[in-house]
Amino acid sequence: MKGHRDLELAAAGSIVCALIAVVIPWEPVRIVAALPLALFLPGYGIIAAAFGSHRLALPYLLMLSLGTSLAVLALGALLLNYLPGGIRTESWALLLTVVIVLTCYAASVRRPQPARQQGARHRPYPRRLDVVCGLVAIVAAIAALILASTPLPAGGAVGYTALWMLPHRFGAQDAVEVGIASAEHSPQAYTLEVQVQGRKPNRTIQLSLGPGDERVFELPVSPGRPAGRTAVVATLYQRGAAKPYRWVRTWLAAGGSAG
Amino acid sequence: MPHLQGKLAPARGHPRASEAFRPKVPPKIAIVLAPKTKNGADAGMARQHVGVDGSSTAVIALCVGLGLLLCSLADALSRQTLDPSQVLFWGGVLLIVLPIVHRLSLREPSLGEGLALVATLALSLYVVKVVRDPFLFTFPDEPIHAFNANQIVDHHHLFNANPILPVTAYFPGLGGATSALMTLTGMSSFGAGTVLIGAARLAFALALFLLFARISGSTRLAGLGVVLYAGNSNFLYFGAQYAYESLALPLLVVVLAAIAEREAAPASRLRSWAVPILLGIMAIVVTHHLTSYALVVVLVALAVVHRFRSDPKPNPWPFALFAGVAALGWLLIVASSTIGYVSPVLRGALSAILHTASGETAPRTLFHASAGSIVQETPTLARLVSFASVGLLGLGFLAGVGQVWRRGRKQPMALFFSIAAVGFFGALLLRFAPAAWETGNRAGEFLFIGLAFVAAYGAVLLLRSGPWLRLRRAALVSGIGIVVVGGAIAGWSWDTQLAPPLRIAADGRAIESEPLALARWVQRNAPGGRFAAADADARLILAPGGALAETGASLDIKGILSEPTLSTWEEPILRQHGVRYIVADRRQLATDVVRGYFFSVPTSSAEPLLPLAAIHKFDRIPLGRIYDSGRIVVYDLKDHP
Repeated sequence: MKGHRDLELAAAGSIVCALIAVVIPWEPVRIVAALPLALFLPGYGIIAAAFGSHRLALPYLLMLSLGTSLAVLALGALLLNYLPGGIRTESWALLLTVVIVLTCYAASVRRPQPARQQGARHRPYPRRLDVVCGLVAIVAAIAALILASTPLPAGGAVGYTALWMLPHRFGAQDAVEVGIASAEHSPQAYTLEVQVQGRKPNRTIQLSLGPGDERVFELPVSPGRPAGRTAVVATLYQRGAAKPYRWVRTWLAAGGSAG
Repeated sequence: MPHLQGKLAPARGHPRASEAFRPKVPPKIAIVLAPKTKNGADAGMARQHVGVDGSSTAVIALCVGLGLLLCSLADALSRQTLDPSQVLFWGGVLLIVLPIVHRLSLREPSLGEGLALVATLALSLYVVKVVRDPFLFTFPDEPIHAFNANQIVDHHHLFNANPILPVTAYFPGLGGATSALMTLTGMSSFGAGTVLIGAARLAFALALFLLFARISGSTRLAGLGVVLYAGNSNFLYFGAQYAYESLALPLLVVVLAAIAEREAAPASRLRSWAVPILLGIMAIVVTHHLTSYALVVVLVALAVVHRFRSDPKPNPWPFALFAGVAALGWLLIVASSTIGYVSPVLRGALSAILHTASGETAPRTLFHASAGSIVQETPTLARLVSFASVGLLGLGFLAGVGQVWRRGRKQPMALFFSIAAVGFFGALLLRFAPAAWETGNRAGEFLFIGLAFVAAYGAVLLLRSGPWLRLRRAALVSGIGIVVVGGAIAGWSWDTQLAPPLRIAADGRAIESEPLALARWVQRNAPGGRFAAADADARLILAPGGALAETGASLDIKGILSEPTLSTWEEPILRQHGVRYIVADRRQLATDVVRGYFFSVPTSSAEPLLPLAAIHKFDRIPLGRIYDSGRIVVYDLKDHP
């Protein structure tokens, strides 16, 4: 590939990008590395190899590199599916790197040695007004995305509270896990009552939750519960209200599992 | 032919640029269509020489940025349930589109500038969709495909079963490509899918522009053609959703662009062009059934036209054969369930057409919500804009088709596009047949490529030199604005053009809608469980819930969930099919795959709810009631006395 700067850059870049994608744990860094590795370089290498000595004009190169990269991703998964290891970070990184390096090598073989450096190209410099307009445009687009991804108050939306109950999942017998999650618009006070086999409340809990808060209680059901399956009912009241707000029910078998 | 230089000519600085990039169409096409001054010089060029350029790239970028901000602001107000005027939103869309159309109407852009303009248009209109749904996939097919991608990443293999749309598992191109981005970046299927479809939209715009430019010989016509394609009713939203067609259609256009370039290339380059064409065909075959069949039809038609015209250009029959064999092989060997999926849809459409045509069934009323529906009807003005867009496209077609015949009939693709344009108006008629409108809507997405090409000829005709050029230019810019806005109105319900509230702020914290909270709960507490749920709930249970969900007509779940009583056979049949959990949702909107994901927002009328008995029937069995959020209750079929 010596002398073909674009191919050298593509091949070396693919190796660096693949290493970053596999090794680095931080998502933003991996995104920066993985996007060219997946969405541009495979197509660039294949097109460079296919066209050999013929250099495509930039618009065609862009379109074909992007389109061919998308095709490689769609087909690459099919290939990886039948290879040992299947579809994983490492296999994708390896496949894409191999495709890029091999096609860049093939392109360098098919291309004649590059001509000597030509005269310096004329680079147009933007006017100050253009720069200002461009910057304002970028700021506006970023503001649009930030605004879109910012949760905003919505007074017209109906809030709610969720109550759930599951047999204890950690193997402890005779216990249930009860969760309360608030998606109300303001802090709320609740009373939680747990009844076993219809008897008077086995446990009563007073609690307050703000919007977005969730509390999970691990509640013992016995001692002294009857043998066999035991109905456990958890009822949630809004503080001061007599009418149940939410209720859930489960039947505990011996060993703490449902049913 | 001054304006042809720098368009399709070899790139400067590339001494080895081949003949493939020289215009192969008669130069007169572009010359005649370009506006001329009285002395015969190109009007656009004359303006350029005196430095009059009212639409610089920077100003266009500024308008696009501000347009996006306006759209995002309208969405933000809508998420706040403030019911903003949609004027703000459509103003933002027009602020994106009109400066680009205006620039294209002034003079022939260079190939690079034209490409930059259409890329800006495609990406910015895609961002309009992204700012509507910045938190989660909420378009009907998106959670289904996100589930497929998640399954691939979790199990490291393709072809994992999809309970809602089983056929999608046998077309793993989209899920596989998404898995690459997910594994390499660490992004969720939402992030990776959003980036992937964005890249596909960019490839689509670039390829369509280069395809039109190659066939017509004019970059201005090509640019206007791409903008006109944005007037396709599915372009703004439905076609931008994370779904297999959204990847396959751009690949189809890339293949067509490569075939067009190959036809113009010297014999020594034919093999080079075959590489992206073959890769593209294979990728389409493994990505989307209907697109692969459409590709076969296009290639066969082109091959036949080539054959009968004894065209000296290379006949694409080898690609038609390859695509046909690949699509058929995939259908028979891998995705045979596609037949059972597609044929009832097509049979239903055909039957609906016959019944509507014979008067047995009343025609579907456009923009009309069904009786008893709570869906807000489209305002009269919006309907008029939508009808006007179809009328303008019809005018564009009538003006352009003659030009295509006179100047482009030697191009097989130009002829094919003309036929497709006629087909588009035929597909429009399907919208009047109740069970066929969706088929017509989907077909329109493909056929509109031809219509955009033909109508662009008509648009350029309006820019010929002569009196009232400025007025005609203004009419063209306004007309294309109406086409784009009208198309978007026709393609997506009026009440869901803006973002409904999905994740909102309360007391400084973020809270999520009731069905989404259920999906999060499922993700934490019942991953991999099998649920029976209403359509919208089921989709969220798939992704982000990560569990399995049956819905709709499957196991008669729609009836089981909505009826006030339970038949004796219904519970056993659920158990027999491995369903563990039942999601009883009182919201009638829970069956609406467009509106069912969001916070309930009471309007003047009461929120439409199923009777309480629809939920309580499961308490009477009795079953374990393990989750209760008010409107949504989850029952556990294995949890009973």
